Amino acid sequence: MISAGIDVGAKNVKVLIQEDGKVLGKGSVLAGLDMGADIKEAFDAAFKDAGIARDKVEKLYATGAGRNEVKDADDSYTEVGADAAGVAYLYPEARTVIDVGAEEGRAIRVDERGKVVDFAINERCAAGAGAFTEAMARALEMPLEELGKISLTSTKAVPMNAQCAVFGESEVVSLIHQKTEKRDIARAVHDAMATRITSMARRVGVQPEVALIGGVAKNVGFVESLERDLELEVMIPDDPEFVSALGAALLAAGIAK
Amino acid sequence: MAKYKTAPLKSWERAKEIRADYYRNYAAAHEKGGLRWAGGAWTFDAIPAGLGDDVYPITSEPYGATIAFQKDFSDRCLQAAERAGYARDLCAYMRNYWGSILLNEYGWAEPGEERKPFPKPDFIWQDHICCSHAKWYQVVSDLEGGLPMFCVDVSVGPYEHTTEHGIDYIVGQMHDGIEWLEKTTGRKYDDEKLIQAVYNTCRSTSTWAEICALNQAIPAPLEEKTMYSLYVLGTLQKSSKDVADFYDELLAEVQDRVDNQIAAVENEQTRVMTDTQPPWAFLRVFRYLASRYGTVSVGSLYTFALIGNWIWDNGKFVPRPTPQSQGVEIKDRDQALRVLTEWELSKPEWQHFYHPKYKSDMMIQIAKDWKLDGVMLHYNRGCEGLSLGIAENRLAILESGFPVMVFEGNMGDEREFDEARTMARIDSFMESLGVPKLD
Amino acid sequence: MIDTFQERYENRHEYAKQWKDKTGGKVLGYFCTYVPEEICIAAGVLPVRILGSHEPQDVTEPHIFAMYCPFCRDCLAQGLEGKYDYLDGISIAQSCLHIRQAYTSWELHVPTDWSYYLPMPHHVQSPRAVPYLLAEYEKFKKALEDWTGNKITDDDLKRGIETVNKDRQLMKQVYELRKREDPPLSGLESMYMVVSSQLIDKGEHARIVEDSLKELEDRTLGRPVGQRLIILGSENDDHEFIKMVESCGSTFVIDDHCTGTRYFWDQVSLNGEDPLTAIAKRYVNRVPCPTKDWPVRTRVPHIVSLAKDWDASGAVILQQKFCDPHELDIPAIKSALEEEGLATLFLELDVTVPIGQFKTRVEAFLEILDEEDLF
Repeated sequence: MISAGIDVGAKNVKVLIQEDGKVLGKGSVLAGLDMGADIKEAFDAAFKDAGIARDKVEKLYATGAGRNEVKDADDSYTEVGADAAGVAYLYPEARTVIDVGAEEGRAIRVDERGKVVDFAINERCAAGAGAFTEAMARALEMPLEELGKISLTSTKAVPMNAQCAVFGESEVVSLIHQKTEKRDIARAVHDAMATRITSMARRVGVQPEVALIGGVAKNVGFVESLERDLELEVMIPDDPEFVSALGAALLAAGIAK
Repeated sequence: MAKYKTAPLKSWERAKEIRADYYRNYAAAHEKGGLRWAGGAWTFDAIPAGLGDDVYPITSEPYGATIAFQKDFSDRCLQAAERAGYARDLCAYMRNYWGSILLNEYGWAEPGEERKPFPKPDFIWQDHICCSHAKWYQVVSDLEGGLPMFCVDVSVGPYEHTTEHGIDYIVGQMHDGIEWLEKTTGRKYDDEKLIQAVYNTCRSTSTWAEICALNQAIPAPLEEKTMYSLYVLGTLQKSSKDVADFYDELLAEVQDRVDNQIAAVENEQTRVMTDTQPPWAFLRVFRYLASRYGTVSVGSLYTFALIGNWIWDNGKFVPRPTPQSQGVEIKDRDQALRVLTEWELSKPEWQHFYHPKYKSDMMIQIAKDWKLDGVMLHYNRGCEGLSLGIAENRLAILESGFPVMVFEGNMGDEREFDEARTMARIDSFMESLGVPKLD
Repeated sequence: MIDTFQERYENRHEYAKQWKDKTGGKVLGYFCTYVPEEICIAAGVLPVRILGSHEPQDVTEPHIFAMYCPFCRDCLAQGLEGKYDYLDGISIAQSCLHIRQAYTSWELHVPTDWSYYLPMPHHVQSPRAVPYLLAEYEKFKKALEDWTGNKITDDDLKRGIETVNKDRQLMKQVYELRKREDPPLSGLESMYMVVSSQLIDKGEHARIVEDSLKELEDRTLGRPVGQRLIILGSENDDHEFIKMVESCGSTFVIDDHCTGTRYFWDQVSLNGEDPLTAIAKRYVNRVPCPTKDWPVRTRVPHIVSLAKDWDASGAVILQQKFCDPHELDIPAIKSALEEEGLATLFLELDVTVPIGQFKTRVEAFLEILDEEDLF
């Protein structure tokens, strides 16, 4: 069956189309003020990518904070449920899912059937989400990809007390004033964020294997810090930011339950 | 077609009346030569009752919650307290209360009327178990330009390790307190009134527990949102005859609902409990649970036992029988104070102050006997006393096999509650429990 | 000699392990300065205060909700990370709820042979407190005896009292020297002295203080004293912060901290009384933690007189973030100090402090004090 999943997130709208577990196409657009237009645009991009017509999709499930905006969805799942379904399909051996998106971090513990056993979500603070690294990259006047890369070259751990994104930024500024090397600051930023995420993940209990998904999984600096903190290697799929949409599509097709 | 029949609670109007009388009487006490005093919901209100029938209390926690319901007023109160230098992470009830003193506006008004100036109490009568309890009233005294104040420390360890010297310590303070009350008010103390108030305290707190025990029934006759409006009477004045009598009537009505399968939530399909004070400005969370998921919150250790008194009996968590029902007859002041002390020391919500294990055990037993599917813990930034050990409670409940979700918020400061994200979290939790959505 | 204290503070774990090897005795980790060290010492036990490390950590979130103070979380982290694996037992005397959670979670998750909760009364201004505490001390003493196998005699208790009293009295002499126009030691050195007393054998500590007193006789800081400050508030062993303030043209000359004067200010006076009663009176009547300071706020006039006697011109009021008992006293303390003409600076401590930001605020504060001096 061809099915589609749409993930209406705070920052991006993502659509994934699959057939019998094989991805046919994906589409992603930045979320603006007109949610309806964004949703349409993301669909158009995905259909174009898949090279199929819209009526081929038999079922559509929505997920993400804005899932109720998708009027023609057949059903909807929460981000937690969609994450778990997507990861269970990609990595049946995963027991812990860590999803770090632009504005929220989540940790989910799943059982051997991929069922959600427990979950934790970062509270009201950007210090444990992608927005934090973006703000810090701005403070360091470098692109986000660069922040991740130079972080890997750091050899020195500088403690940083990032309880809050606002204070985090002023800490970065004072580190710059103290002539701390940029690569060490970059690592400090990722270490601080990894500490937050690990703290949260420990609430559900970190059981291997651990899958890391969400856009921030593409930040190599963060991944290194997180693995150091967790003392294990995490599994990262090719398109970590599409796993929720994949989960929704699989749930729609009945491949995931 | 609804699964169960439902009906509004008949006792509702009477509960509203008692509450209105309470705030009205406090405000009007001086008009007839009476006295006003302030203290916490856990204070031994039976003791000032010995000063006469025209002595009226105001308990600060329910008063702070009353303000929290009025979002705009609460916002002004919180800001006033902050301007005066009181930190944002202090007890949210107190910040509402202090704010209303600073603004000089009484948080309760007759329906349709403007708020009146805040009625200053004549003295403070408080107890202390949370590390801030007595200190709240130092601030009240500061803000009121100085008030006489007496506080009884009750933190003598968990009930299962009660010692004779622990009881002596509390009773000794109470004797000193009565002398202090006589000196402060110039009134003669009436032991007979004290004895009656002690009986009332035991009766109201035991009966409230019996009412909550009836909620083990499927369908549940009460849901937590309603229970908040009922248990609150005990937090206002557990020693009053009106409150004790009301709980007797309510018990009969709830028993009748059980007998006739009258449900609080007509489509009850899932049962949960919460913990700690709810974010008062957002009780619609409970409506959402009921209408969207047929989920009834049957209560919490908080609603059952903040005021209700329970005891372990053969591995079961049961309403504590009153001393009078056990044949105890109180003959004098000292005995009254001893009975009262011994009674209050078993209060379930006092046990976790010494170790989270006490609370975990009670919560797990409730989860079993009230037949719950899951537990929703409110990590309440507004109350350090009741959130104490909550993370360990979560681990213990999970360990016992019940799914748990947590949501962060604040009972009295709506700025610390994110409604949309809480609803999203509830959706995830219900989904993980496999609860079908009601359409 | 004075630098020995810092060395002891920094190597506290090594010290305790060596003490065990050397003496074969038991080490008791305690969570609050209301634990009566006199009785522990009488039992032959080394009491060490459990402190944090001021390093970011990610292990306490499953155990303590983030609205409790950073100090209690930092302390628990040390236990969960195994840094105190040499402890034979733990104990707490009832004080605030925050640190109590570090203790109960420790008991639940860090294997420890012996654990004791001492219900120290809160109503210390009541005449009922001493008899109650005395009865609790009897129980505590018995529990220590059962644990260690050592019978605690009155002579042992008297020895415990003398040992701790002597150290207290010597530290007070050092504090007297800080009244000098040119104090012979910095606030940082003083902090190391007091905190290390909570970590090492008291007799040894007293000997180091005695030697330091000789050294301090004609020592000066070798730098301008700058503004004389009092520092006060909740637990504070944040050396980075103290160092920073003292490097901006000021010197801490006195404090009200449980890692400072509150810990050692009051002596046990025996006066022919039985030793346990004398100890109970000392802990009931000591300079209180704010959670026990009611109905009267006795700490307020005490702090004002410390500030005056040590001739402080400004006050740095520090508190652990979320510390409710202190937060409830700070407005009263602030206004009392300001009435006496002292400027105040309020800062909130977290596990690590944002030094850069705090420095800006400290410099501005000192600037104000300097300007006041001009008039």
